[in-house]
Formats: sequence, C-alpha cells, structure tokens
Amino acid sequence: MRHRNPSTHSRGRAALMALLVLIFAVALAACGDDDNVGGGNESATQVAESGPVRGEITISNWPAYMDTGKDNTVNEFQNEKDVKVDYVEDVNDNAEFFGKLRPQLEQGESGGRSIFVVTDWMAKQMYDLGFLQELDHADLPTVFENLRPDLQSPSFDPERKFSVPWQTGLTGMMVNEQLAPDVRSVNDLFDPKYKGKVTMLSEMRDTVPLVMKADGVDVDEATKQDWLDAIDKLREATESGQIRRFTGNDYNQDMTNENVVAAIGWSGDTSIIENEDVRWRMPTEGCIIWSDNMVIPKGAPNTAAALEWMNFVYEPEVQADIAEYVQYVTPVAGVDEVLRERDPALADNQLIFPDEEFTKDCSTQPDPPGSAEDRQEVTEAFQDVVTGRS
Amino acid sequence: MRWLRRNALLLYAAVAVAYMLVPIFVIALFSFDQTSSNKLDYRWSGFTLDFWKDAFADEAVNEAMITSIQLAALSTIVATVLGTLMALALVRHKFRGRGVSNLLIVLPMATPEIVIGAALLSMFLIYGIGLGFTTLFIAHVMFSISFVVVVVRSRLIGFDRSLEEAAADLGARPLTTFRTITLPLLAPGILAAALLAFALSIDDFVISNFNSGTTETFPLYIFGVSLRGIPVQVNVLATMLFLVAVVCIALVLWQQRQAERMAAVRPDPEPATTAPGGLVRAPAATR
Amino acid sequence: MSALRRRLVPYGLLLPGTVWLLLFFAVPMYFMGEMALRSGSLDTGGFTFSWEWGNFDEALSGSEEQLLRSFVYAGLASLFALLIAYPLAYAIALRAGRWKLLLLFAVVAPFFTTYLIRTIAWKTILADASPAVDVLKFLQIVPEDGRVLATGGAVVAGLTYNFLPFMILPIYASLERMDVRLIESAKDLYASSAQAFWRVTLPISAPGIVAGVLLTFIPAVGDYVNALLLGGTGQTMVGNVIQSLYLQQRDYPEAAALSFVMMLAILAVVLVYLRLAGTGAFMGDEEESR
Repeated sequence: MRHRNPSTHSRGRAALMALLVLIFAVALAACGDDDNVGGGNESATQVAESGPVRGEITISNWPAYMDTGKDNTVNEFQNEKDVKVDYVEDVNDNAEFFGKLRPQLEQGESGGRSIFVVTDWMAKQMYDLGFLQELDHADLPTVFENLRPDLQSPSFDPERKFSVPWQTGLTGMMVNEQLAPDVRSVNDLFDPKYKGKVTMLSEMRDTVPLVMKADGVDVDEATKQDWLDAIDKLREATESGQIRRFTGNDYNQDMTNENVVAAIGWSGDTSIIENEDVRWRMPTEGCIIWSDNMVIPKGAPNTAAALEWMNFVYEPEVQADIAEYVQYVTPVAGVDEVLRERDPALADNQLIFPDEEFTKDCSTQPDPPGSAEDRQEVTEAFQDVVTGRS
Repeated sequence: MRWLRRNALLLYAAVAVAYMLVPIFVIALFSFDQTSSNKLDYRWSGFTLDFWKDAFADEAVNEAMITSIQLAALSTIVATVLGTLMALALVRHKFRGRGVSNLLIVLPMATPEIVIGAALLSMFLIYGIGLGFTTLFIAHVMFSISFVVVVVRSRLIGFDRSLEEAAADLGARPLTTFRTITLPLLAPGILAAALLAFALSIDDFVISNFNSGTTETFPLYIFGVSLRGIPVQVNVLATMLFLVAVVCIALVLWQQRQAERMAAVRPDPEPATTAPGGLVRAPAATR
Repeated sequence: MSALRRRLVPYGLLLPGTVWLLLFFAVPMYFMGEMALRSGSLDTGGFTFSWEWGNFDEALSGSEEQLLRSFVYAGLASLFALLIAYPLAYAIALRAGRWKLLLLFAVVAPFFTTYLIRTIAWKTILADASPAVDVLKFLQIVPEDGRVLATGGAVVAGLTYNFLPFMILPIYASLERMDVRLIESAKDLYASSAQAFWRVTLPISAPGIVAGVLLTFIPAVGDYVNALLLGGTGQTMVGNVIQSLYLQQRDYPEAAALSFVMMLAILAVVLVYLRLAGTGAFMGDEEESR
C-alpha cells in the first residue's frame, strides 16, 4: 500500500536545512535599520484642530455603551450636522485595546479613528507616552458648560487637557439577593459558603483596590506592598477555588444564569442582567469611582468633527438618551431634570444620580504607585493570578 | 442479527450527528425567542418572528458580517488560485525542492493558531505595519493556502490523464488542453477547496484577534458583544449563514457526483467508487 | 516547449504561493524567534535585541502547570474525539447507504457557523442551573453539588466538540476509499467480524486516524478560547498565558519565548507519536496518498 523511498529521509533533512537558510536570508534581507520595538511618540505636543464640521469620522467605543438601534444618537448627529459617523464597538478591555493599537500610535497614526473611549489610567498612560492630542477648551463650549463640577479637575488630568468623560461609574458588588442575601462587604465574597460562586473583574484597578479597602487600606496612600498583599489574598482565594473566574463584562451572563451569586461588578450592568434578583450593592467599605473618557489620538483625521461630537453628547437632551440606555453615572449636569420628565424613577436612581451621602466612602480609581517598572511588577503579579500561573 | 447490528451503528451515527448539531439547533431556536433585549440566558420567553423580519436592523452586526464576507471572499479567491497552482506543480512535476515545498505547506497546518497570530503580530510590530483589513487579508490567505493545496492535490492524484493525452495527441496546445480538459475536471476539487478556505476564514477568531486593528470581523464582533449580551440578530444571521452553507455544500457534493458520473462513463479498471470527493476528503489527503 | 521552459514551469507555478508562505509564515516565525531574545520594556525605550536567553527561563517558570495541563487536555480531547469519530466515520463510509450525503452534510455544516457562537451556545446550555445539567446530575454523571462550567471536564468537552470535524473527515476519507471486498475476502477465509476489523479495516484506516489525531491535538494544545469561555481560573491553558503576555502585559519577548517552548513541546510529542504510529503520514508524500 505504502512504500517509503529510502532516500526520503536524507532528502527531507537537506530540504529542511535549505528552508532554514532561505528563511534566514529572507529575514536578513528584510531586516531594516529599525532595530527597536516600542518606545513612545516623541513628537511635540499637538492641539486638536477645530474648523468647519463636515466629512467622516470613526469613533471607537465599548460594546453596548450607547444605543445602536434605529433612532440612535449617531443618526441624530448625522442628521443634524453634515458628518458621517462610523461608530465601532471594538474596545473590550483597556490593556488589550492599547496592545493592539500601540504599533500604529507609535507611528503617529490612530488607525483611522478620530475618538476612542478609554478609562482614566489608560488615558493618562497614552498621554504620557505622547499618543494623545490636547484639547482647547474654547473648542468645547458645551462640554465645559455642562460637565459636572466634581469632574472638572480629576487627579489624572487636572486641567482636562486631553480627556472628556464619556460616562462615569461605580465599581462595587453585584449580588443575587435571593441566593446571597448576606453579602454586604467585599470580605463576604471570600466566605467559603459561596465557594466557586464568586467572580471578580480582570480589570486590576477595580478589583485590587476594593480588596485593599475591605482590609482597611487607604487606597490613595497604598504602597506597592499593599497592592501585592491584596493580590496574594486573591491568589489564595483563586487556588482554593473560592473565586470561580476573573471576568470582563461576561460576568453578566454568569449572574443572569445564576452560575455566580455574587461578584465584583459595575453599577450600570443591572440594566443588562436579565435576572430580577440581581442588584448592585454598595460595599460597606465603599466603592471605586472611575470614568471612561473620550480622547483624540495623534494622527486622528477630522478633529473638528470629533470636537463637535463631544459637544453634541454634552447637550443634556442628547445625554439623557445615552444615560437612559446605559444607566451609568452621567457626567453631564442637568440630565436629571430632562429624565425626570421622561421617567421619574430613573431620575431618583442613586446609581445614575448618586448623591454625596451615597458615595461618601468611595475612592477615585487609583493606579499602582511608583515607577513604570513598579507598575509592571504589580500588573504581572495580578495577571499571574488571573491566568492561574504560580 | 447482522441487520440489527447495522442499525445499531447507524443509530449511533444519528446520535453523534445530533450531538454535533445541538448548539446550532439552540442558536436557531433562540433566534425566534421573544426576548426584551439582548440574550444572556437559556430561558424561553415566547415565540416571535420579529427578529427574522428585522434581521438586518442592527447596523453593527451587519457591518461585521459584511467585513467578514468581504474578507472571506477575497482571501478565498487569492488562496485558491495560489494553492491550486502549487498543487499542480507538486503533483504534475518532478523537480528539486519538492521536499521544502511540502514542508512549507504542512508547517502552517501544524502550528497552533495562537503562535501564528502572535508571530504575525511580531512581524507587523517590527515593521510598524498598521493593523487592519490588509493584515487580516494577509493572514487569512496564509492559513488557507495549505488547506487548498491539500484538497486540490487529493483531486489531482486521482486524476485520469488519458483525456489530456488524447487532447494533446489531437494537436491541442497545452494551454488549450488545460482550459478545456484539466480545469473542468478539476473544478469540483477547486470548488471544494474554496469552500473550505471560505469556512476557515469566516470562522477564524484567534489569528484575527491578534492582527485586526480596528477592523471588526463577525467572530471578533461576537466576542465583544457576547460579554454583554448578544443581540438576537446574531442568532438570526448565524442561522442564515448555516443555511447558506448547507446549500453550498449540497451544490458542491451534487456537482462532484455529476462529474464522477461523467468520468465513470469511460472504461476504467478502477471505476469511480469514490463518492463525494474533494471536500470531505480534504484534510485527510495531506497524508 | 523548450526543455528549459519545461523545467521552469513547476517553479513558476510554485512561486506566488511559496513567496506568500515565506513572507507571512516563515519570516514571522523567524521574527518571533528573534523577539524571544530581546530585552527591555515597552515603556522605557522599547525592546532591543540582546541574546536574552533568560526570557525562556522566565516564560517557563510558573507556566509548567499550564503547559502540562494543555497537553493533558489536548490528549484527552483527541482521545474522546477519536472514540466518537471512528464509529461515526465508519457508519457514514460503509453503512449509511442513501443517508450518506445527509450525514456528511451534518458533519461538515458546523464548520460554517462561527465556533465562537457554538461555544457560547454550549455555555448557555450547560449553565449551573440549566435543565441539561439537572439531567446530568440525575444520571449521576455530575455530582449533586457539582457543576459543569468552570471545570476541566467542560474545557475538554469543548475542545472535543470543536475539533471533532477535523477527526471525522480524515478517518472517513481513509475508510471511504477502502475496498469493501477486502473485508468480504477476510470473512471468506473464516475470519470473525472482530478479526476482520482488527486485521483489515483498522490498518487501512490508520493513516486517517494519525492525521485526525494530529489535526485535533495540535490546535487543541494552543487553544485558549475554550478555557476562557468554559473554564475557570483553575483551568487556564498555555494559550491563555501567551495571550495575556502579548495583549495584557505587552511583554512580547516572554510571550514569544513561551510560544516557542510550546511549539517545541508539540513537535517533540508529535515526533514520538509518529514514530509510535510508524508512518510519515504527516509529510504528505504523493506516493503514499494513493
């Protein structure tokens, strides 16, 4: 049936050698002078240019961060202005998004995007590496007229030089009130009663600070060791099987199907989870407050239209549509009045319009302290826990 | 007794096939589910045709689907042409360097997707090539070529050359022979190869995830929205895709049967016992 | 046609495809090797080439568990896929009669619906409180207080399911080409059905089995989607670690090093396997295929 050519073996080996030589030759020939991978973008500061509003823009955002149905905000914008919008939902995770985009940013390109939406720390990192354009407040009259006062000067961008909040939100606990009625503190998530029925977020800056808070650490003053200690606690809980998985938004599915009874979760997600027993709970020790920001990368085409988009979504009427859909904490003042007329229950919802009393123990989302190397060390330790490495 | 045993085996086959189709059945079923918004759970809330009527209502879904179809079509065409040429060279000609060529064709199939995806990313990073549709296209052609070669080659090996020789004897020029004899006889194999390439491309997630940049293919889109609840339209489109695939496969198999019936007309010491050829024989024939 | 031209024809035919594979497969693999020997960090000046063999140590330390698990899961998945696929392929090839086309449809069709959607569908079907899991509990396949998702079983089941077509098709093809008269003559020579199967059918289908196992095993080792969707933190595979190193930590050198280690390990296992299976089937020589 089959016969082997006696010379096949040596022929194969010679062929392999030839192939290797060929690859090497091609690679050497192809190897340019650019011997370095990475680094930032050294070019000078750049301010987003304003001008006549027309043409096309591409906006990258997280999935389900705006209604993309028929009469959505994008269409409204297109009808009102002479701009065609390509709205892409391709941000699933800050680090991953940045990882995939970085090579382009390093060349001063944005992959065709005029705006994308990333969380505070990511925006700061991008700015520090020289990947973002600065914003002239004169071009953003509606934004700065309506931006909530408490968001005007966050620590990561005190003058709002490069970021405009898209939505803000609270990280706390998502709890199934029937199956885990007594989970009130983050420490209760470590209760063996709920072994294998608990998930936490793979977004390090949400999970680790909450765990530190539960242990009484002041997250604004936390040292690298505090971060590493909290990560160790997570490691133990992971190895014992207490924590089922680390998730992104996919804990919504686990909560809906009752695979998980309590989780670290984001405030807006109660609107997504199709399970009446699931509620977002403020942990007894407080929550983490973050915002996702619109930024304009260097190399962004049509910045004029991008600035106009920022102004547009800061009109309270427009923002009310977005708030109604995503149910996060809106960064725009005056939306509560618009919503009160449409749906009073929403206007009174503490998760969309939290008052100071409600968030008194909450902290702004912190970054691990220290140098880039220190941050890398903490990130690595956390990722090792997420991927189950020892 | 023997009759019973035969049926036992067939019964098993039916169960196994049913098992393979379970998720597709669930996907199709839930495309008729009357859910309020996006689908996260396994509960049935009532029958509706709304989502089929509004199959193309969700623009994001459509866009991803269109990107995927464009990408799959383009990469299928290129990969099929390149792969067919390679298969012709490998089966029809003896030449130095066949071993290397074989190796180069087999290796991509023997490399895990994550390694291919990461390696391509490394190269694009080093050259500073912006990620997007082009890089996806490059990657998809690359991983499809090997499978095309394998499928077309299996068709070529079982190929009766007497017709070509007859044509040549009658004075046909080589190109004419190729166009009028070889290509038509080879068509089912090429079609099957193209179908496989299309399926591989439209199904790919891992390699695309590394090299997509801003371009969103259907699987990438699915991955993104699955985290927050899948629009029911996704189920509708997936079911449509499945139905289209069934029709395509049916056509290919039918055409192969026709071709083989044609071939069976001429006297042949080994008659066309082989039923549906190319496609189903695909990965096997490598070996 | 001149002799020279005739001799150049195969190279002309090969050229475009070969160039594509060299540029976009061989060269990237070379660059990955080179990347595995770079040092530095992205945020402080980038990665520079420096023969940094330490990346391999670092990549390996801590990932042994994931590597081992990947091979165990992939091995189990290949085994289960073989056990499911062989009788099915046999039935389709030799017993199905007029149902043959229909069954083939059913086997090939899942190829065309995104495997991600199918895996997510499984996740819905196997949710902790779902009817399907209740049935499994009733049948004592799953313990009363147990679950299916976020266990090793779920990941292996997912791998088995997703790569099943790659196992069925080669085996089907090898059986389908078989001359049924061989079995009949064996029986004429007073072989029992079992003997006929072991002595005749199985050896003939061996190349199909070898090919199927390789086509299942190799992609399964590197897979990370099944572990991500169906597994938990205790079920991560080496693919998950590579993915995290590349896209989360952006430590490209370590990621490249780990990819290489995985490839080498796969290569070693495959070579041992091929030697045991006693065939050069994976190299695709024409003489052997016919």
